[in-house]
Amino acid sequence: MELEEMQTTWSQLSDQLEHQKKLTNTLIMEMTKQRYRSKIGILSRYEGLGAVICFAAAILLMLQFQKLDTWYLMASGVFTVGYIILLPVAVLRSINAMKSIDLINNTYKDTLIAYAKKQKQFLRTQRIGIYLNFILLAVSLPVVVKVFKGDDIFVTNTELLYGYIPFMVIFLVLFSKWGYTKYRNVTDSASEILKDLEDGSRQI
Amino acid sequence: MKEEQAFTKLIKQNGGIIYKITRLYTDDTESQKDLYQEIVYQLWKGFKTFRGEAKITTWMYRIALNTALLHLKRKKRSGYKVSLDAVVLKQEDYDPLFEERLKILYSKIKDLGDVDRGIIFLFLEGKKYKEIAKITGLSTNNVGTRMARIKERLRTQINKN
Repeated sequence: MELEEMQTTWSQLSDQLEHQKKLTNTLIMEMTKQRYRSKIGILSRYEGLGAVICFAAAILLMLQFQKLDTWYLMASGVFTVGYIILLPVAVLRSINAMKSIDLINNTYKDTLIAYAKKQKQFLRTQRIGIYLNFILLAVSLPVVVKVFKGDDIFVTNTELLYGYIPFMVIFLVLFSKWGYTKYRNVTDSASEILKDLEDGSRQI
Repeated sequence: MKEEQAFTKLIKQNGGIIYKITRLYTDDTESQKDLYQEIVYQLWKGFKTFRGEAKITTWMYRIALNTALLHLKRKKRSGYKVSLDAVVLKQEDYDPLFEERLKILYSKIKDLGDVDRGIIFLFLEGKKYKEIAKITGLSTNNVGTRMARIKERLRTQINKN
């Protein structure tokens, strides 16, 4: 199909649509109401649920904080609670930033650039999260064991550390690799868009 | 009330534009309905502050394309939907030959990248390079270069077939 043929088909379509005007005022105004909420894509649903779980865990740990009776358990507790509050907040913020693009005043090009940049920013947050997860893995175990079992793992259960850490490292490496590849695909398309717009500008 | 009347008039007059954009930026009827409502919603949001600096259709194309673009990126959606089945999203009067041509046309356009998809749509809508540039934010020269590239691409595809 050549461009001329495309143009003919398109104007035929436009003519047909011209004769199909059946939208009512009520229906149009119905569409303008916020009842129809343009929600959140797949990313924020996963992350939203994750954030709720993290916040619940943080509250639980804070309520049991007095059980952490040594300086290293307290330090681990502070890190764990801080991490499970701050990281979800950062992730939700970067998702929200993607949704705050100005669709009304931006041009098409501005929208593409803004979206691509925010997507990259989102991936950066995810990447930081992946690295920090490894630290959390080591730091949270003593806290959890102390809070829920009452044992200081460094004194009574050192063998648990040797079994748990290698197992969790393998799990985390595989999980992070899967998650990162998924997000990587998303961000690669963002980079392509930016490059495409850049190439276009150079041709002028 | 006056504002609502002006807005519904605008949508009634230009519903076809929204329909065509939704068809180009979605792959199934559910998404198409979803996008249609989202575009009307965004237009209403912008309508309250529209001061007439640009032509109303230029303004409308811009918001509709921006909304479609982000919809395409976010894909999966859900939520309350106004039923549009009986109205604007009704299939074009069925003519198998025309349907086939339309299918090819849509697939050719969907094969293009995000930027070129917007440009070819505006070109098919009969917009001049200058107006396409105004809507997209690209320079007029860049629009010209991209259009030449699109034409070349279409020609190559024909030769291959």
